[in-house]
Amino acid sequence: MRSDTTGSWTPVALSRDLPAGTVIPARIPAGPIALWRSESGCPTASANRCPHRGMSLSHGFVRGEALSCVYHGWSYAKAGNCLRIPAHPGLTPPEAIRVKTYAVEETGGVIWVAMGEPSSSPMKLEGLLALRSLTAHAGIAAIEAAAGAKAGPEGLVEPAEGTEAICLLLSAQENGETLIHVLLRGEAGPAARIAASRAAESLRRKAEDLQKKGIAQ
Amino acid sequence: MTMQAMIDEWYPVGLFSQLDQAGRTTTLMEEPIIVACDADGHAKVTSGNGRTLPVLVRYGHVWSSLGEPRKELFPIPEADQPGRRFVDVGCVRVRCSPLRAVENFLDIAHFPFVHTDILGAEPHTEVQNYKVEIREDVDEVWATQVKFYQPLAAKSASGGITTEYMYRVPAPTCSVLYKTCPPRPSEWDVITLFVQPLAEDLCDVWPWMALFDDVTSMTDLIHFQQTIFLQDRSILENQIPRLLPLDPGMEIPTRADLTSVAYRRWLKRHNYTYGAQLVAQ
Repeated sequence: MRSDTTGSWTPVALSRDLPAGTVIPARIPAGPIALWRSESGCPTASANRCPHRGMSLSHGFVRGEALSCVYHGWSYAKAGNCLRIPAHPGLTPPEAIRVKTYAVEETGGVIWVAMGEPSSSPMKLEGLLALRSLTAHAGIAAIEAAAGAKAGPEGLVEPAEGTEAICLLLSAQENGETLIHVLLRGEAGPAARIAASRAAESLRRKAEDLQKKGIAQ
Repeated sequence: MTMQAMIDEWYPVGLFSQLDQAGRTTTLMEEPIIVACDADGHAKVTSGNGRTLPVLVRYGHVWSSLGEPRKELFPIPEADQPGRRFVDVGCVRVRCSPLRAVENFLDIAHFPFVHTDILGAEPHTEVQNYKVEIREDVDEVWATQVKFYQPLAAKSASGGITTEYMYRVPAPTCSVLYKTCPPRPSEWDVITLFVQPLAEDLCDVWPWMALFDDVTSMTDLIHFQQTIFLQDRSILENQIPRLLPLDPGMEIPTRADLTSVAYRRWLKRHNYTYGAQLVAQ
């Protein structure tokens, strides 16, 4: 994976895990973000901190096309500007009150967020179905070792043997944890999904064991 | 860490009604302490290394200090007024700066969003202008003429009322709230927030009340306040950073935050910075 992440895409969540009108916490190399989808379906990645009193915006709520802070209800547009301060309904919020937002794209059922100006679109993930995400208490190196394959520049791992039906999309998190998005190749009936999910869980266990043993530091 | 200016203050360390001779181990500004009573029932506070600490009992709580308090504990005259019920609410541990806990107590604009349908409700979100001052004679922060529409202002309230509030900050981690008393319009209910700093980013909050309410059971009064403070905790444990930023560039206040602005200014002026963050990080 790239070490310089400016301008590159991070796979932060699966599209299916972010229904319209909801907000979830996510993470990019710059830090935690509030990832939300407006009622009309548009995804936005906002810096996680409300500039008013520092409340985490991923605890907030989505109404219409805006994200509101749960503490005092200050609401923010997709562009990051503050739309409304409920304590002063007649006041037009000053331009200076805004949260940073990041570029977002959705491809193949995956939501990608970039810091800075990405020069290209995220990878297409053709022929892959986004199945589920899980968190491993293991670093990327341990997961690569468990999978017997290296991650590509955008975090895609295609495991070597026995698990050819799944691909993993990795994203480094806090405290040495890694977010794994499980992608399913080819036939995607219920039995294939269950098998892929179990394969991903056993791969996670293997990676966590390797991490514990200190094999992959 | 700068605890110098705050070390000589009095802090709540437990409920007087729950003292026993075996004692209870707790923490004051990172130092382990034991809060107990002697054979005669007098409160006794001892530090981890066996040092006897200053102690007094007031407003239902035991108060102590790691330093040498030069002042009496702040007065609450209503604590001696006949006819009031005194409610020891107990304690809520919050993983936040003790100063953030006080600042949240001074804030009314969050009521519709955090204490929904109890202390506030949309669309009644507007905060009218109110008065804030630092009273130099007593060296306290005061906010007066604070008014807010509340669906269920107190256990003794029936239906929505516009409640009037006054806030006092007489010590860096304590606040006293005077609030419209539904059954007795000529009096104020008193609700306090006494905060025990365990560390710069961890505190025990001890609310205490002196109310005119002869109807509600003690259990219901305690449950009401605990509900409110647990709702506050969900906010306080998710503010970033945990310490209270005293750097004006770090957080943007609005007119509704004038009490908080005065509180931060007063803390800074006195170097009450245990639990504060001075420069943006």
